[in-house]
Amino acid sequence: MSELLQYIITGLSVGMVYALIALGFALIWKSSSVANLALGQIVLISSWFTYAMLVQASLPVWLAFPLVILFALGLGWTIERFALRPLIAQPILALITVTLGIGYFIEGVVTFIWPWSVDALPRLFPRDVVHIGPAVISQEYLWVVGICLVVFVLLTLFFRYHRMGIAMRATADDQRAVQACGIPVTAVFSRSWMFACVVAAIGGILIASIGGITQGLVETGLKAFSVVILGGLDSFLGAIIAGPIIGLCESLGGGYLTPHLWPGIKDIIPFIIIIIVMVIKPYGLFGEERIERI
Amino acid sequence: MSLPSGTRNYTYAQDMAILRTKTHWALFAGFLVLLLAAPLYLGGYWLGVMNLIGITLIAATGLNLLIGYCGQLSIGHAGFIAVGAYTSAVLTNRFELPFLVGLLCAGLMAGLIGIIFGLPSVRVKGFYLAITTIAAQFIIIWVINHWSFTGGFVGIKVPYASIAGFEFRSEASQFYLIMSITALGTFFAKNLARTKVGRAFIAVRDNDLSAEVMGINLLYYKLLAFFIGCFMAGIAGSLLAHWIGYLNAEQFSLTESILYIGMIIIGGLGTAIGPIFGVVFIRLLQQVLTVILVPFLESTVTALPSGFATGVTPMLFGLVIVLFLILEPRGLAHRWALFKSAYRLWPFSY
Repeated sequence: MSELLQYIITGLSVGMVYALIALGFALIWKSSSVANLALGQIVLISSWFTYAMLVQASLPVWLAFPLVILFALGLGWTIERFALRPLIAQPILALITVTLGIGYFIEGVVTFIWPWSVDALPRLFPRDVVHIGPAVISQEYLWVVGICLVVFVLLTLFFRYHRMGIAMRATADDQRAVQACGIPVTAVFSRSWMFACVVAAIGGILIASIGGITQGLVETGLKAFSVVILGGLDSFLGAIIAGPIIGLCESLGGGYLTPHLWPGIKDIIPFIIIIIVMVIKPYGLFGEERIERI
Repeated sequence: MSLPSGTRNYTYAQDMAILRTKTHWALFAGFLVLLLAAPLYLGGYWLGVMNLIGITLIAATGLNLLIGYCGQLSIGHAGFIAVGAYTSAVLTNRFELPFLVGLLCAGLMAGLIGIIFGLPSVRVKGFYLAITTIAAQFIIIWVINHWSFTGGFVGIKVPYASIAGFEFRSEASQFYLIMSITALGTFFAKNLARTKVGRAFIAVRDNDLSAEVMGINLLYYKLLAFFIGCFMAGIAGSLLAHWIGYLNAEQFSLTESILYIGMIIIGGLGTAIGPIFGVVFIRLLQQVLTVILVPFLESTVTALPSGFATGVTPMLFGLVIVLFLILEPRGLAHRWALFKSAYRLWPFSY
């Protein structure tokens, strides 16, 4: 019983982080309908940058985090300005492969600068255990859940009340109408990439603070795609609900299936979910089913 | 098709000919002689590079049929190559079946798995399909790594290819085996693109709804594209397995899949000649980097960071893919066509 509760809480908290990274995807998809497959690598490089700030430059946390946020903003701006903007209105194949190329490039940069490829972030959250009923849980999971919730609330408020947030939603709805209203669409794209990178970076730091920085973070970014697929590509609500579901499936499946199957089943459960969703309900739980015309 | 001035097609056969003029035939014969004589003037190492290029070319041609002609994005090609490689390895190693059976089964098995993971393509496309094939890649590699039958993390040894008692041991003999299959694959792809099937693929790529309205069976043609593309991947995998002699799932990572997409984009999507340019370009770039440039820099520049050797390759490949998409989205094949017409029209280019 305590085992079950433990699986549920770790699953939920990891799932929240997946949801956060998935939000980074949905942000870009909603405003510019570009599928960002470099998400995993963005998560990876931002966690390494955090490592560089905190450990290599040994900056205090209050200085390091603004720098990481700035780095993520710069990364997003650079990618959008130099790789995506020349490709506006290109076929989707080009848009997908360009992000793959960017991801490949970032992976090269990461091995270039941090060739030892595995390291741990310093403790960001206290690791004292908490007792919830019969379960014993490291406190950091609760911190992760808390931070994710705060970011969700901030993003929701931003999209509801801020001018830029409203402009982004409008762009997602109809690009041409937005352009006619005088909203600079390219600026909206640029902002959405910047925000997406920040959100992905926060997700990356949270995951890396628990599990350390490894090449597996790229896979974490890819797992976030299962959240987007399950929740529906263009739905924030879908991402927030699907994230914990995926996290739960992963943690429960990893906990209870491993003795019966081969080890490592945990790592591919999200991918199996992708296949299942694709066959049964390809547009996800909350996604809008596109009706095409010729 | 552009032809030299004064050359006209009077029969259907002439119109369809791949090699139309005497110059074509002469150039082709020269190329064949040059290619077949390669073991005479290339050392063992560069012959190995040629073999790798040939194997890669088969897989890339299959991927080009799938992405370039039929428009079905697949980012799991290395996974399907792995299916072929392991099928062939298991059949020839554990069951001691002859090589040719292993080769054929490798193709069929990869094609079958391709159809299974291609099934969602009937309902979804674009990004959804990309994600499905990424998932396929991870699931395939996971199964290979954990199934004791395939050797798992340890890997599996593969015997040399042999046909009717002749063992392809030396690099040169394997060169002829691989090149003949590569030539067959390229010829098949070139001709498939001109038949009813190829035209149906192109219609599906350009707009699958309109294609369906015109009476093209989407389910059949999309799955056929997946089957053919993955069949060729399987054949390439089998050849790769017998060429390397030892298999490990790490050889078939996601980055390898991305590299394959990069190759056909650099070469030019939806052209017969594109994969050749792309594969030769990427594989030679890889060699130049790892054999010439990196050792040279490491010996001259002393303050090189330790991650340079491993990091520079993905960095450069990523950059090349991005730059090609932005600056020359039609790939080297387009440049080649421009060059050919400029050559034909010279000196009266107006």
